[in-house]
Amino acid sequence: MEPVSRRRFVVGTTAGLAGILAARVPPARGQQREVSYLCWNNFAPASDKKLAEIGLRFTKDTGIKLKIDHISHMGPQQAKYASEVQTQAGHDMVEMRMHFPWLYEPQLVDVGDVVAELEKKHGKAITSAYEGAHVKGVWRAVPQYHGMFVATYREDLFKKASLKVPDTWEDLYVAGKELKKMGNPVGIPISQNYDSISTASPILWSFGGMEVDKDGKTVRINSPATVQTIEWYQKVYRDCMEPEVLSWSDSSNNESIQQGKAGWIHNPVSAYIVARNRKLVSADGINHHRSLAGPQGRHETDVPRSIGIWKFSKNIEPAKEWIRYLIGKTDVYNEYIMSGDAFNLPVYANLQDHPVLKTDPKYAALKGEGVQYHTYGWPAPPSDKVQLITNTYLLPNMIAKAVTGTSTKDAIAWAENEMKKILAG
Amino acid sequence: MAVRADELTVPRGRPGVVGQVRLWLDREPVLGPVLVTPALLLLVLLVAYPFVIALYFAMSNAFIGRPSEFIGFRNFIKLWDSDVFRQTFQNAFVFTGIALAFKIVLGICLALLLNETLWFKRMIRGAVLLPWVIPTALSTLGWWWMFNSLYSVVNWTGIALGIMTPPGPNWLGQAYYAMAAVITVNVWRGLPFFAITILAGLVAIPKELYEAAEADGANANARFWYITLPLLKPVLAVITLFSTIFTFSDFNIVYVLTKGGPINSTHLFATLSRQIGIDTGRLGEGAAISLYLFPLLAFVVWVQLRFVRKQVY
Repeated sequence: MEPVSRRRFVVGTTAGLAGILAARVPPARGQQREVSYLCWNNFAPASDKKLAEIGLRFTKDTGIKLKIDHISHMGPQQAKYASEVQTQAGHDMVEMRMHFPWLYEPQLVDVGDVVAELEKKHGKAITSAYEGAHVKGVWRAVPQYHGMFVATYREDLFKKASLKVPDTWEDLYVAGKELKKMGNPVGIPISQNYDSISTASPILWSFGGMEVDKDGKTVRINSPATVQTIEWYQKVYRDCMEPEVLSWSDSSNNESIQQGKAGWIHNPVSAYIVARNRKLVSADGINHHRSLAGPQGRHETDVPRSIGIWKFSKNIEPAKEWIRYLIGKTDVYNEYIMSGDAFNLPVYANLQDHPVLKTDPKYAALKGEGVQYHTYGWPAPPSDKVQLITNTYLLPNMIAKAVTGTSTKDAIAWAENEMKKILAG
Repeated sequence: MAVRADELTVPRGRPGVVGQVRLWLDREPVLGPVLVTPALLLLVLLVAYPFVIALYFAMSNAFIGRPSEFIGFRNFIKLWDSDVFRQTFQNAFVFTGIALAFKIVLGICLALLLNETLWFKRMIRGAVLLPWVIPTALSTLGWWWMFNSLYSVVNWTGIALGIMTPPGPNWLGQAYYAMAAVITVNVWRGLPFFAITILAGLVAIPKELYEAAEADGANANARFWYITLPLLKPVLAVITLFSTIFTFSDFNIVYVLTKGGPINSTHLFATLSRQIGIDTGRLGEGAAISLYLFPLLAFVVWVQLRFVRKQVY
């Protein structure tokens, strides 16, 4: 090899360094493809372990280094996302809950190409996943999985009192009266949390009501359907529940049925999974049935999750590769879903009757769920104004007012007025 | 021949860099700013810059990740239109007023008690500080458990003692009880700050004053009203000033205990600001909520600082 003179070495390295600095791209040999992913602490912890395991395999198979970070889902998650967006720095990919893609729309990469591939393979994304991640005609996040709101009830108590398993919200009132007499009241939160909205929304929809019309501009809360919804809540609050529901957090209904108090709650299957895994006495008696119907049919709300890629990311392609690997490879996706213990369920049509539902006889009733899944605020698109209506808890607060003494008319007028001001602002 | 000192020629070399810096620093107009600069930089970076940014946000339609425009005072005017904001405004004054009153009265009582000759005095004084030392979010979780409808040890005890009828108060589900709950936790947490600071003020009062008053026949009550309280005024003014600001801007207690509920009856500026600014992405409105009381608080600070200066000088 020809020796390199000192002068030639200095000139060569200086020119090379200047080139790298000008292009801001490291030479191919020095490029370690790397991608980072921020997701929440899953309610099914085994799912997080599985994700880490899949991540290691992904790195081995593709050579792309994957860094997975976890964050608590309520509170810190939103603050973290806001700071990443404001500083234009942070993770490449983030797990998005429900309507987050609408909130961060201008900052998210169009992932329509990835979703098209996935839909070709697994079938169309379910309605709520579409509503949450398909923003103004563009896929801003890739539907990943969802947790569904079902009815969780104490089957043993229902059998003991010879109660009919409810199919409608009216049936629940009939059974709930008996449950309360037995000391096991119905547990539907009417407070400032998301579970309250997750139950109040399907009830309102199944009576034919809505908060805002699908144009996203016209307030429709003042309607006979809302009156019916409130009247239903008033009698259930009076005859089937206890005032404690006014103070509940998202976890309170779970704890109530796990600790043997509540006889019926509306919640994802996490309440049962925790009771079973912790070997609580109540676990054997718990079972599930479909979410209930009203005069205008059966509507359900769930919690769709999706993966978004920040526009500021310098690793958009590796990020898409990870999503294709996790969700696009059927065996990997199945493995991931199975680890979620029926809490994380597939969001694509062809995978709805998933084997995970056969892993426990108590999941049997979940088959066929999801006829009318919607995100909060439906049928209005989850714009930032509709999200303000959701996040200020106007729906549960209207109901809370009505069950604690405010007249139905005044409670509805209050909600209507607040909603109109938000939409006008 | 006499030679004047200034006529002496002393052979001098050019001072080195270190020497030059030393000479330079010997000059007071240079040394002063040099010493103050690091603190000033910290203040600018950690206080002034965020404050200016917050001011800009409050006067703009800033939304997370979107371009924003200056809109003047429109956010502040629009907020007043919201029922939730008006409720929050009222809550903040009720919460701060009642919590402060309790902290002052109980703080004086506790300080007087700690000033007495007690066994294990140091240990007790240390223990009193515990609520203030434990991270607020953690201790509030403990209180949440105590007020929780399913596990409430408060209700369980009350019912067991026969002073409550089952199921006991709905602490976090009824507006007045919920406000009482958040005030209780705030007082519990803030009391050590008051007690220890007042205790420091008590220790500084010369014993001779009490001895002279006693010799003049003043009873304990008179000694408290005519010696203790007047001499504690500067200390009380300072801690009331700090506590007013901290209590108005409280976040953790309400966020953990009630999330502002039931029906917004415990929302404070900080919790509502987070709900609107972070959860819903409306940074402009969120910043306006958190800065709404800034002019009033600035006025309170100015009045109290004037009062303190008068007392001291």
